[in-house]
Amino acid sequence: MDDSSKRLLQRLVRRIPAQTLRTTLEKWGRLTAAQQRSMDFTEPKWALTEKLLAICEENGFTAKHITELEMTNVIDNPNQGMWYAFQLMDPEDDANSVELTQFKEQFKSHLRELVRPVSVKIKKHTDEAVWIRIAWGDSFSRPNHLKPTYVVHHLQTPYVFVTSLTSKQKPLLSQALVLSARYRAIKDANLSGRKLTAIRDLLMRKYQQVFPTMYPSPLGERNQVDSNPHIEKEQAEPAANRLQMACEAFGDGTLPQLQSVVYKLETKFRDHTNKTMTEREESFSCVVKFASTNLLESLRHCASSGIASTPVTPLLSSILQKGRNYFVITDNGSGPSTQTRQPQN
Amino acid sequence: MAGASATGVLSQLSQLEVEARSRKTQPQQQQQQQQQSRVKELKAKVEALRAQRDQLKAEIETHKHLQKLRESLDKQSTHEEEEEEEMEQDSEHSQLLRLMARHTQLDDLLYAHHIIGGYNVTKTRQGKGVYVSLATAYDGVFLETYNLEIDLKPTLRISRHNVPPFIPLNSLAEQNNLQTNIRTFLDTLSQHLNAFAGRKQQLELLKELHKSVEVMESNVLCSILVLLFNLPKEKTAVLCTLDYTDHTRSLPTRVHFESEDKKLPDSPEWKKNCSLLKETPVHKALITMKKMGNIV
Repeated sequence: MDDSSKRLLQRLVRRIPAQTLRTTLEKWGRLTAAQQRSMDFTEPKWALTEKLLAICEENGFTAKHITELEMTNVIDNPNQGMWYAFQLMDPEDDANSVELTQFKEQFKSHLRELVRPVSVKIKKHTDEAVWIRIAWGDSFSRPNHLKPTYVVHHLQTPYVFVTSLTSKQKPLLSQALVLSARYRAIKDANLSGRKLTAIRDLLMRKYQQVFPTMYPSPLGERNQVDSNPHIEKEQAEPAANRLQMACEAFGDGTLPQLQSVVYKLETKFRDHTNKTMTEREESFSCVVKFASTNLLESLRHCASSGIASTPVTPLLSSILQKGRNYFVITDNGSGPSTQTRQPQN
Repeated sequence: MAGASATGVLSQLSQLEVEARSRKTQPQQQQQQQQQSRVKELKAKVEALRAQRDQLKAEIETHKHLQKLRESLDKQSTHEEEEEEEMEQDSEHSQLLRLMARHTQLDDLLYAHHIIGGYNVTKTRQGKGVYVSLATAYDGVFLETYNLEIDLKPTLRISRHNVPPFIPLNSLAEQNNLQTNIRTFLDTLSQHLNAFAGRKQQLELLKELHKSVEVMESNVLCSILVLLFNLPKEKTAVLCTLDYTDHTRSLPTRVHFESEDKKLPDSPEWKKNCSLLKETPVHKALITMKKMGNIV
């Protein structure tokens, strides 16, 4: 095993916690049963690294196998790093019938035409998502396996999720994706977060939405907690209304875990008590950011407890409806951002 | 019994005790006065109960009347030629009753429509929009319900929905001209959704019932399915590809077999399996194939 592969393995083992390492190694499936048993996961990390290095030397593994291990780990633990969502636009006629082998071949060949050398690994995960790992190289150097880009795409949907992409690499990846998925353009979906599962569920609408119906479904009755019959809530009806409106705007049950929403204001300053600011001609640029461990849950609670006024303002309800968490608001109303945000490395 | 629990059992007992003691010690006159006031109370109660009884009787009469009207209305809608039943007086009272009967008939009709899985349309925001809900079902089982919110002004526009992104909602709206022919749009959308729900349900049942068959590939739209069959005798495997290219159907349009044994797909057995998979839902077809001994 050459030096760069060794370094790659060392870095990988350092980053993965010991317990996850065990399951990842099992899923990787390249160690024999004896080798798997010989790894004692209670030892300190440096000991585990030495052991694993020795086993890999024994099996004659190369960088290819190490990157496979890394990919298995990322697929199993997708909720790390920053993920950015992109949307493919203007499908061609056959976009809906693109199948996996076709997509794989097309993507690899298009990317290889644009960048050389490049190392591309494509894997189909059981939840029907296609995972792509790209290690970029250029005319002066070999593919850099220490900073790979991961791309997740569900075929037959226009959504692509990307992590660790630099601005130089973005146009190349966009081109390859657009051509292989049979669309005509790609744009920033203005949605980002730490948890891939959350932003994916948001865009695929896998959360429970609330719609008013004339006939409630017979099985889906909310079990009300039997409260003390001697206690009567004075504000029972307004509270129920607020809860209904909060659920209509933010959905019911468990919500996808977003961490932040950013509003970039480019409106004129409006406050009658402050003449100097109001008299300025240019717009008052200001950025408002809401951050939380579970943003949608906290916003729903704000609305149902009365802290945010109901009916919920469209500024907040568009997070779920439009599936984005970055908004630019101008005086004519909020619209799509005129500049694309640069995903940072 | 809110009153009982408000005063408590012990306080009631002490009240009774006080009354009993006062009855023993009171002079005759006071007792008579007490009895008279008690009699007055009871008489008032009797009047109130009588009034309540009369009111209930009137309500029962109206209800019976309504039922009769409803029956005649139902008969009218099934037999158009029958003449209208003569009403006693064509007063305001009976007109109102007739309207009420018609209202209950329409309510029941709407509910029946809802139970059989028709579209429900609810008005919202003082008539500025409507909510439409579409139910999906497969094999007699109700599956997911999908909802659309449609704004009515200035033009018909879908503003909110929970249809998944791989169902081409916008292109369907354009193709079927949402503005002029909303019924066709809803029908086509319902076709797509029901077919998708059917394919998804088939995949779930297949995974549940046939653990020996491995699902090699599937996608979110459930429009492609690749299965691996193990043959019992020859110990070879057959890769079966099911293409559901028509997204409005829940049966595949193309079935393709691949195997190491090149002659296998052309054998009459497997040609029969090919047409079986095209005509029956996949989880049921696999049961038949297992029974025939073609697969494990």
